Amino acid sequence: MGGLNTFFETIRKFFKRKKPEEIPFHDLFIRFQQIIRGNNAAMEIIADMGSKTSGEFLFDRQYMVDCIKQLEEIIRQNAYTINFMTHNQYLEIFEVVEKLSKELETNLAGKIVIHDRKTIYFLDEIEEHMQDLVGPKAFNLSRIIKYTQANVPKGFVVTISAFRDYMAYNNLFERIAELIVDFQEEKITVESVSDAIRLMILGGDLLPEIRRSILSACKQIVTSGHKVHYYSVRSSAMAEGGDLSFAGLHDSFLNAPFGEVLSNYKKVLASLYNRASLEYRRKHKFLPMEMAMAVLYQEIVNSRVAGVLYTVDPGEPDRPECLLTAVWGLGNVVVEGHAEADTYRVSRYPPHSIIKENIAKKDWMTVPFEMGGGREVPQEGQSQPCLAAHEAAKLVKVSLELEKYFKQPLDVEWSLDHDGKLWILQARPMHIPRPRHHLSSKLPEVLKDYQVLLKNKGDIAYRGVGTGTVWKVKDKDDLSRIPNGAVLVSRFGPPWLAEAIPRASAVVTDIGTATAHMATVARESRVPTLVGTGTATEVLTEGQEVTVDAIRNVIYAGRIPELLHHHLLTKGTFESTYEFRLLRRLLQRIAPLTLTDPEAPNFAIHSCRTLHDVMRFIHEKAIGVLTQYGKNPRSLIQQGGKRLKSDLPIDLMIIDIGGGFTDNVGKGEYVDPHQIASFPMKALWEGLSSPETWSTEPVAVDLKDIMSSLSRTQASEMLGHVMPGINLAVIGADYVNLNLRLGYHISAVDAGRGTTIENNYIFFRFIGGVSDITQRSRRASLLMSILEQVGFKVQLTGDLVIARAIQLTEAQMNHHLCLIGKLLGFTRQLDVLLKSDADIDIFFEKFTKGIMPTTATRQKKEDYI
Amino acid sequence: MSKTTVCILDDEVIVGDRLQPELEDEGYEVETFTDSSKALERVYEKCFDVVVTDLKMEGLDGMAFLEKVKEHCPQSEVIVITGYATMEVFRESFVKGAYEFIAKPFRLSEIRDAVKKAKKKVRRTNLIGSLKGRTK
Repeated sequence: MGGLNTFFETIRKFFKRKKPEEIPFHDLFIRFQQIIRGNNAAMEIIADMGSKTSGEFLFDRQYMVDCIKQLEEIIRQNAYTINFMTHNQYLEIFEVVEKLSKELETNLAGKIVIHDRKTIYFLDEIEEHMQDLVGPKAFNLSRIIKYTQANVPKGFVVTISAFRDYMAYNNLFERIAELIVDFQEEKITVESVSDAIRLMILGGDLLPEIRRSILSACKQIVTSGHKVHYYSVRSSAMAEGGDLSFAGLHDSFLNAPFGEVLSNYKKVLASLYNRASLEYRRKHKFLPMEMAMAVLYQEIVNSRVAGVLYTVDPGEPDRPECLLTAVWGLGNVVVEGHAEADTYRVSRYPPHSIIKENIAKKDWMTVPFEMGGGREVPQEGQSQPCLAAHEAAKLVKVSLELEKYFKQPLDVEWSLDHDGKLWILQARPMHIPRPRHHLSSKLPEVLKDYQVLLKNKGDIAYRGVGTGTVWKVKDKDDLSRIPNGAVLVSRFGPPWLAEAIPRASAVVTDIGTATAHMATVARESRVPTLVGTGTATEVLTEGQEVTVDAIRNVIYAGRIPELLHHHLLTKGTFESTYEFRLLRRLLQRIAPLTLTDPEAPNFAIHSCRTLHDVMRFIHEKAIGVLTQYGKNPRSLIQQGGKRLKSDLPIDLMIIDIGGGFTDNVGKGEYVDPHQIASFPMKALWEGLSSPETWSTEPVAVDLKDIMSSLSRTQASEMLGHVMPGINLAVIGADYVNLNLRLGYHISAVDAGRGTTIENNYIFFRFIGGVSDITQRSRRASLLMSILEQVGFKVQLTGDLVIARAIQLTEAQMNHHLCLIGKLLGFTRQLDVLLKSDADIDIFFEKFTKGIMPTTATRQKKEDYI
Repeated sequence: MSKTTVCILDDEVIVGDRLQPELEDEGYEVETFTDSSKALERVYEKCFDVVVTDLKMEGLDGMAFLEKVKEHCPQSEVIVITGYATMEVFRESFVKGAYEFIAKPFRLSEIRDAVKKAKKKVRRTNLIGSLKGRTK
């Protein structure tokens, strides 16, 4: 009998498992809080890691190992928790976390993980994190296109992924590895290993996809009207473990006709195993597979004169002079050093006069769009100078602009075409030994003569020195008027400032943290930045010339070229150190948030690309569990939910996860607004319930009618016992998640306050309306303008608005939430009234002048510091 | 006045690489090491004014290195930098004569300030020493 009982018991349990027991609401609260706490702790770590990219900190690999370990622990714990809350609905989270962990681990072990399988990128598509995918040559050119005004010939790069595909497709990895081992053990000579490997590579087959992509991309980059198109095909080789220059080690092809672009691809790949390249690698102790080759294709410039420019003289780096060499036609004869060239010494200071020139007898040149080894220079051109003074000056000016971005002395390949247009073909850092006893000993003397305007105020968000004229940033409309090279001075660093930062010499803010969005942009565009100085907008005057030393944290009156030059020579870029590149690589898999819209179809666990995405996913699903209770208000009230007592036509249910209400709410069904203790909910409600929000009724119908129509809709829904999209708020002492259906739009707010400014955030999502899509989109644009004005980062798609603000001070949080509250009321039927685009401006004025809470900028400074 | 000398010991190359130019800019004469036994050899040849050392290292660890430095060059001031900043380690470093303790990761300005303070202390000790010598 006993055995049978046990059997039934097992069966019963089995079926019971199928329909799991409901988890008590109280338990869900506790778990939800755990998730929120975990996310806050994780965000703190991510923010800390982000701040380390400013260059102001010294950190080592161990720091990164520790951070990642902590992050993974928190996220795994949260993954357990959400599965507990949902009866294991999201077990795939573990899979995704494991996958991301593996990638992070591989990166930490010093290997490069390339996720991107794309074989071709056009130069203007390359993003900040793609250096490992496209190699340094293509990457540097893409940065020039993005962050400077210089012209770069159109082009594309065949990626490292394509290289790996090629090697795998032809089974080359193992065979090459064997040969390399023999070479390292000195069993075979460099000549024979090089010849054997190159033959293997040249004899391989191109994958059909790569073949097609190269040919079609080559057609796309052509702008000239020539019948036959010519290209330059160059190596963009990459190796981990150091900032090595591979100058001249690999093959490049100029004037390659369309018919040869595929064979040239293989030739460039094969040159990875040139004799010189193999020797170089043996010397620097590279493993055979640590080298990879991306290949850069560009249209040939119709070059009249070309050459090389060094932004400093490697022999005498302290002299403020650039060295320039120039020849007729294409510049390869200079680069390869096998022909006579004109040389110039040009001042680094405006107007960049020629200090010394040496005109050579140039008898040989390479002509664009012409195959073969070149031709003789016509007699009359042989002893004529290639460059006029104004051309040399222009070249120096542009090269120094590039140097300002790269923060290192540069070796620039350039070309001037027959229309006098200047093209930049390549820019790479020059490796100059650090001068020990030159300028650094004189520097204190030099600096004595300059007045110190600010010292040790605020934080360094990007390390470096910049000099220029102060431009005080007031509002968004000013952006286009900001001159190049200005020193931007701003009270806050609003996200819209990002647009102007790449053109600036330096950025200084009164308020802000080194991890805010603006600071990230400053780092990407390498603009020296000081944040949180407190008084910069008061101390610095508009139009004043200043030097911002964001290394020693000092702002001087006047321009100090000596200081810039000193740092140019001594500091190098910290970005090129292994630890920085590793941190950046790791952060790519950690920090970005790509899952922004919880209602979008791709808001799924397998779309999570970063740890931050996983955190957001878990958070949303946890909120989902709690709000499910909201579908049935009766049961919600039984579980301790409360109805908010209010005259407004909003039937709002509130769930308190702890600390959201004052202590004296009692057991009743209703709660009074003054009993809300939740910091973010209070701010939201203040806005939502403020009288002007509702009395400034934009609709030309009687207010009462609208209210009643609203109530009617809601009442009818109530009769069905189920309220789709019920107005529900989940609140805690420092947290709010509000889902609101007002009129015909649906909005959601998720906001939290953490232990530090870095952890304070607001998410806002808004969609829908009663009118057609055009009018609804107008309302969305209006919302975007208002939200951007106060510093939200806004994503607008049709009538969907997704806004996000992070790193907020408490006062800002309060202000922004109150603003959102007011917006919800103000705009609820505004779409009907936005008959034309011009109406957006009218209502924008109306809101910002009349209804918007006193802007944070107008509040007292003490609130923020 | 001769330059203040600084020795930096950390098995992570990045530490010496980044600190050296930073401190040289301040006018110090800087030597860097990644191997504690090599650093110790150098300390036996020459006493540095300021020594910056990591704690956790292969072979002779930072705590032992600190002891040896203070034993051989009592006038040297030692700044300990570590990623494992616990109360015990903190206490032990001071007991063994460390001048300052900085947890990794740190701001470059922190180390600049610490070395500056240590330098002042060394100067003062040396001055007092030489005055005492003169009055004898």
